[in-house]
Amino acid sequence: MTLTDTNRLPAGTDRPYVQIMTDRCAGCQECVIRCPTGALSMDTKHWVALADDDLCVGCRQCVRTCPFSAIVVEGPLLVGLRFEPEPVSPEHLLGDIGEIRSGLAGWPEALAEAERCLQCPDPTCIRGCPAHNDIPGFIGAVRDRDLESAHEILRRTSVLPDICSRVCNQSAQCEGACSWSLAGGTPVSIGRLERFITDNLAVPPPAPAPSASELSVGIIGSGPAGAGAAWDLLEAGASVTVYEKEATPGGLCVWGIPDFTLPEVVATRPWRQLSDAGLDLRCSTTIRPEDLDGLLVTHDAVIVAHGAGMPLRLPVPGADLDGVVDATMFLQGAKAAFESNGDPAGFCTTLGLAGDAGEQGHPAPEILVLGAGNTAMDVARTARRLGLRATCVDWLDERFALARPDELAEARHEGVEVRFSRTLTALHGSAGRVVRAELALTTQKRADQHPKVFSQKTEELQIDLVVMAMGYRSDPAFADALPGTPLRREASGVPDRRWTASGILANRASAFAHHSPVGRLALGREVSLRAAALPVSERLWAVGDALTGPATVVEAMAQGRRAAAAVLDSRPTRPGRSDRAWSSGQRRVLVCYESSGGKTARAAEAVADGFSARGDQVRVLPIAKVGTPELAAADLVVIGTWVEGFVVAGVRPAKAMRSWLDGLPRLAGKPIGMFCTFAVSPKDSLRSMRKAVEAKGALVVAQAAFGPGELGAEPGVFGPAAFGEELARQATIQAVSQVLVE
Amino acid sequence: MSIQVNDRAARLADPVDVAIQVNDRAARLADPVDVAIRLRPPEHAGIAERFDASDPTPGLDVARNPHVARLLHNRKFQFLMILPNQIVFWTVIFVGLLGTAVPGLNFGAAITWYVWFCLVFVMMVVAGRAWCAMCPFGGFAEWVQRRAFWQRTQKTLSLGRKFPEGLAQFGFVLPVATFLLLTWIEEYFNIAGPGNPASTSFMVIGIVASALIFFLVFERRTFCRYICPLTSLIGTVGSMGMVAGFRTRDREVCLSCKTKDCMRGGDQGFGCPWYTWPASADSNLYCGLCTECYKSCPEENIGLFLQKPFTSVVAPRRRRADVAWAIALLWGLVLYQQINFTNAYNSLDSWLNGHLHIPHYPNPVGYLGLIAILTLVTAGVIRGIGALCARRDVAFKQAGNFAERGSRFRAYFVPIAYGLIPVVGADYFARQLPKFFKSSPRVVPAVQHMFGAAGVHSWLYNARLLSDPRIVTTQVAVIALGTVAALWATWRITTRELIPVSRSALAVRVTTSGLVLVCGAAAAVLYVAMQAAN
Repeated sequence: MTLTDTNRLPAGTDRPYVQIMTDRCAGCQECVIRCPTGALSMDTKHWVALADDDLCVGCRQCVRTCPFSAIVVEGPLLVGLRFEPEPVSPEHLLGDIGEIRSGLAGWPEALAEAERCLQCPDPTCIRGCPAHNDIPGFIGAVRDRDLESAHEILRRTSVLPDICSRVCNQSAQCEGACSWSLAGGTPVSIGRLERFITDNLAVPPPAPAPSASELSVGIIGSGPAGAGAAWDLLEAGASVTVYEKEATPGGLCVWGIPDFTLPEVVATRPWRQLSDAGLDLRCSTTIRPEDLDGLLVTHDAVIVAHGAGMPLRLPVPGADLDGVVDATMFLQGAKAAFESNGDPAGFCTTLGLAGDAGEQGHPAPEILVLGAGNTAMDVARTARRLGLRATCVDWLDERFALARPDELAEARHEGVEVRFSRTLTALHGSAGRVVRAELALTTQKRADQHPKVFSQKTEELQIDLVVMAMGYRSDPAFADALPGTPLRREASGVPDRRWTASGILANRASAFAHHSPVGRLALGREVSLRAAALPVSERLWAVGDALTGPATVVEAMAQGRRAAAAVLDSRPTRPGRSDRAWSSGQRRVLVCYESSGGKTARAAEAVADGFSARGDQVRVLPIAKVGTPELAAADLVVIGTWVEGFVVAGVRPAKAMRSWLDGLPRLAGKPIGMFCTFAVSPKDSLRSMRKAVEAKGALVVAQAAFGPGELGAEPGVFGPAAFGEELARQATIQAVSQVLVE
Repeated sequence: MSIQVNDRAARLADPVDVAIQVNDRAARLADPVDVAIRLRPPEHAGIAERFDASDPTPGLDVARNPHVARLLHNRKFQFLMILPNQIVFWTVIFVGLLGTAVPGLNFGAAITWYVWFCLVFVMMVVAGRAWCAMCPFGGFAEWVQRRAFWQRTQKTLSLGRKFPEGLAQFGFVLPVATFLLLTWIEEYFNIAGPGNPASTSFMVIGIVASALIFFLVFERRTFCRYICPLTSLIGTVGSMGMVAGFRTRDREVCLSCKTKDCMRGGDQGFGCPWYTWPASADSNLYCGLCTECYKSCPEENIGLFLQKPFTSVVAPRRRRADVAWAIALLWGLVLYQQINFTNAYNSLDSWLNGHLHIPHYPNPVGYLGLIAILTLVTAGVIRGIGALCARRDVAFKQAGNFAERGSRFRAYFVPIAYGLIPVVGADYFARQLPKFFKSSPRVVPAVQHMFGAAGVHSWLYNARLLSDPRIVTTQVAVIALGTVAALWATWRITTRELIPVSRSALAVRVTTSGLVLVCGAAAAVLYVAMQAAN
């Protein structure tokens, strides 16, 4: 019993027990407004939070959201058991590519699972989902047995719910970020509920709007990123052409993910629906970097979504021996072999493996799969279905495995041997073909640490084939055409406080999520999602793996949708197009400033007044509130700052502005106006700002420096308002005008 | 739909909201998370009666001045306030250890006991926790904890533990305990006399080391809030001050704020190190004036407010028992420091030392015993007032932790103790005056002595600002002023908080005012007696 609550039941009973530390509780109500069950209210006399244990379910959302750590919850989580369908064992592993995971059996199970959802007021699962699906929303619709509404809610953020529900690693995303998971329990089965919706009511096809703008968009690649972009553009009335190098659309979802995880009929569903809705799908059409200029003449905008299809290879001695192949080759070959007219035995023979695989008296050939991520699991499990023995090795510690936990368990159940904390040091051959692999042991203490080889003691494996399945990378040939890619999915600086307030960053997820830092991972994904809205160069967007390097299906889809929104928003126009109504809409101007004493803020307002007078749509924001979405939504950006320094010594833009400029994303030809306010002299402040924004690809169209004389708003003086009017007056904002007032 | 956004208010609105309202095309780029957040509405009931009396006047917001705003926004501001004190106190440590053993000539001892302690009192009476904003002890430990002098860092060098609630609920009683301990050590080793200057150095080293340990183990300024020996004195006496601290400009903005950067920390500032939310602060008790909330707030909704003197004594609605007990204990301590001059107490101390084998004054049993008796007598008198005046039809029982629990005794003890703050503060201040008036000029030869000049024969070494009788007169005047202030505060507190629960307004007014007068008179008489004893 604590000293604090002598009149209440001690912890350890069968109910959760909430302890408000009234000394630290500031009455901010962060817990009150986020409590899913209404167990917290305010003691208005003392202005501290008040807990009702009878209503508390122990989710600890309050503990995670309290800014002053003034709440402790002890006791159990009051939540029902999660419905876990029986694992499906393949009838006959050999040759059976039937879907291995079953969904929820029926409405009783779905409703029971939906009831486990707390409908959190600030749901962390939404932030954990890369597409930000309204998870409590669609689960609420399932509770109401309203699948149409559920689809409608899903459609707001996703066009691939049937695919994502099958291939997403929910444990590191939505389910890992579920309140129950963050509290150390078992999360709501979000993925299965999403699948239940799509299993019981087909995903509605796109509903194209009548074309009014004649917007033409070319999309390179038909993976999930392309699907996301194409769907939204088509629905907005754009003319969309998709270029796919393979003969069938779907990209990695079709050739990279085996049918037993994602049946082809599901993987190709979006493309069937899109084609029916009027999409111009051009398969077997390869686009090279040098073709991009031509596409930009044909289309108003081009979205590069060609994925990351270049397999990684481990540079070890013996890697060039026969019998060393990559995952792409293996998975594509196996997929063809398992088709109705395919020949699995023939495929094995092509790989140099004995055709008598699995026959009595002959041990099945052994393949070594390098890596133990999801691709490696796909390779190894496919190999098992070809009658081969498979061993996966990965240098990571098993605690930090990259594969989905359920996929890892399924693979082991099917007889795949998975060895962690080992790395391949050499391959040895006989007569030019690989026969033996040499492995060294590794150690890894933290997830963000590279494993180290800690012992020279080696293991040896007799093998017949090596498949390198460590993952993929983007095609380096596009590096020049797509500046700034691949983008690091890593958030820097102080995390967005809305995320902190939700509690997703408060602690790591439970054992269910392999203790992944789900919040930090989600914040990193948010960086790329926001970056997808900005073009990498004029009228050219990159999304999905093309933008970030290898990522997940749902991330790619979400980025595709975000880029589509940006295309619709920015009204790009191809050369020679004569649709003035499309390109001459009201100009949106963003005036962002860094002000200390208020002088620069007032100057920014005056600049905005200049634009307003010309009928432009203006927003004025301090730079702390300006992120990628705000920049993406502006046709012209004006940046203003005060200058720091002593009289004329060390004069430069304010530090906050310098940091903000350093952290800007690619601005790809975005027109920028700049100004600074100074007391004695701006010196080279504008020049250094200009250098910083031009390094991000922006186009500086005007700049001005305002001293005490200009800020006085004397009639006839070229002050901030005149600067704004001058900028607004220009017939085209691309016309470069140098206005330097000192 | 397309809405022209040209008015200034709309331009400054939340970007996400604007994106949704302004243009449906722009809405596509809006954050879908925001659409799916369905927060419960915050509680508004009772706000007016809870905060109206303690909210400062908007016109007294000095941060409205652009020059002040610019200064407060500057991250180096607090660093530059701490730096001079940091230099002085490291000098104190080194000079105390390595300099002359003559206390009056040693810069370490002279600056600390002749000037600093007195200045801190002036500062707290005028500006609340101004010293905390420039404190070199917490400041040094905070630099280490944040791994930066002024930058907004994210990774801290600290285990980041929470101070256990079992202890935290005793709030101000904990630092009073450390203050009692430090005072006993100071008396036992004659540090503040001042005695051997090295003792002063060891004392400062001890404070810095304990601060550092607490900062490395616990999060934020746990040390400053719960442990620092000075914090209870600065907090209580500082509530007479005219600086209300950093408070919200518009509480509605704070209630609807979705991020609470002032508590969690934002791009420009750390979350409040003192666990204070500017929107719910009703006194300057826990505002360390560190400016972090001001820097963090993205809405510019926090101001630095001045207030009328004694507002933080009179106005707060949420009275805390830990603060009341702290005041009573501090009152006991300051009376002890006066009574210990009497021959009767010296005889008692010697008798106790003889039986308990303590080498010399002060005997810990006598020390703690007398403080406890004085504290309990004060509390007992207030209990008597409660028993005499309380209405029988009012229920006082209320569950809660140590600081919040209610009873008839507490219904009288807590507000009356707050009313005693001015007289307690005046007594502490008066006690510092003799050293200041007699010896503060010695700081000049002490500085000169560090560079090999001056000595005990310097005229400044022997100069004094006031003669002994005049010092006593000044002390009595200070006590009189404190008593008058306490009478005024007690009158206001009695009117608002005690009369509604008392049978007779006259009786409660007479008894509470009588208590204040007795306390003031006791302190004044003791100063006269101390002079007579000398």
